[in-house]
Amino acid sequence: MEWLQSIFNFRIVWQYWQVFAQGAFNTIWISTICLILSLIFGIFIALARRSSNPFIWRPVAGYIQAIRSTPLLIQIYLIYYGLPSILPFGNFLDEAQTGIIALTIHTTPYMGEIIRAGLESVERGQIEGGLSVGMSKKQTMTNVVLPQAVANVVPPLLGQTAILIKDTSLLSIIAVFELMGAGLRMYSETVIATETYVTTAVCYLVIYAMMLVISGVVQRKLGGSAWQKR
Amino acid sequence: MEWFANKWAIIDQLWPFLLQGLWTTFMVSIIAIFFGSTLGFTLGIFKTLQIRPLEKIINGYLHILRGSPYLVQLYIIYFVLPALDVEWLKFDSFTAAVVSLSLYTSSYVTEIVASAIFAVPTGQTEASRSVGMSKAQAYRYVILPQALKMTIPPMASVYVIVIKSTAVLSVIGIAELTRQGEVAIMRMPGDIMFIYSLIAVFYFVYCYPVLRFSKWAETRFGSVGVDLE
Repeated sequence: MEWLQSIFNFRIVWQYWQVFAQGAFNTIWISTICLILSLIFGIFIALARRSSNPFIWRPVAGYIQAIRSTPLLIQIYLIYYGLPSILPFGNFLDEAQTGIIALTIHTTPYMGEIIRAGLESVERGQIEGGLSVGMSKKQTMTNVVLPQAVANVVPPLLGQTAILIKDTSLLSIIAVFELMGAGLRMYSETVIATETYVTTAVCYLVIYAMMLVISGVVQRKLGGSAWQKR
Repeated sequence: MEWFANKWAIIDQLWPFLLQGLWTTFMVSIIAIFFGSTLGFTLGIFKTLQIRPLEKIINGYLHILRGSPYLVQLYIIYFVLPALDVEWLKFDSFTAAVVSLSLYTSSYVTEIVASAIFAVPTGQTEASRSVGMSKAQAYRYVILPQALKMTIPPMASVYVIVIKSTAVLSVIGIAELTRQGEVAIMRMPGDIMFIYSLIAVFYFVYCYPVLRFSKWAETRFGSVGVDLE
């Protein structure tokens, strides 16, 4: 065991397990809130993007392009320093809330584009088919279009969620205490790089592995066309 | 009017400084996409050869790189590898940045190349085998030329991801665009929002044309259907 301890000292990591557990917990709840918010806003973005009114779709398209062409780090900085001066209650937000706002603003366009692609992936013939067998428009939507759209949308949404979880690591730069923040705290207290960062990476990989398991279960439940391709 | 004059003075003063940062961003991203693509193309081709153990190893590599945030990978390569006491792993910050970004890029490229090769219809392989080509010849003359064309649109998106990831390099002190902006803010702390907005504009001007190209290339060369972002 001696040689192992010279490479990787589990005892020190063990002392910090609570810090990492807290960090992992924070990472998960921050990403969950961001996921829910960005899905809700993403639906609106998707619908607005499909609108034929240029006063609606052009600003939305501009927003999507602006987010996709700039780094998340800059967006986080802009919101972290800019929000207090724009919003009257901006000063009362703590780092985690600011981080959630920044990540939601960042993730919404991606979610919106995925949802839009999902809606467009259902062929016109499916709608026409539904209508021609005597379904009402509403029935066609709920029984024909939506089930297919959801099945097509879930795989990329899960992929985006995995990216969202990884993106929360950047919030450590504005002092949000999540998994990366836990790593940074351990590093600042112990100054041993190997144990700290390898542990952080392993924690992220465990969350990622859980994501893979969840998407496997969803895959079996939904079985949409997008899955059969893989 | 005074506001404009004031801001213009800032732009005028910071211009050469930020351009220098943009140049570093450009250099790092070009080097990283070059090495990352080379590694990614190799691994991508190996992944499609259907050799079981090799496929497992490459998949593990991809999972590790795609399952952990780039920030953590950067810290591991910058802080952990030098601590291993191996002479050639003692990176300076620039090498660490390039190495980590190249590895990160290679994970995307591997996936793209593999799915592009799989997207070439199997009839193409069968046809080239039946006219007497060896497996290597079939790859070289029939499959790869068709597959590589399909990789152009997603490769452009990957390049945008690389550019955006270089912003993270500011945490290890690489003097790229974001870092130059932070230094500028230390000099003029009153204009923090303006300077960050300016940097955002720089990134936008750099990335947006590449994204447009990717979109155009998709209509021109077709898409392989890998979701990157």
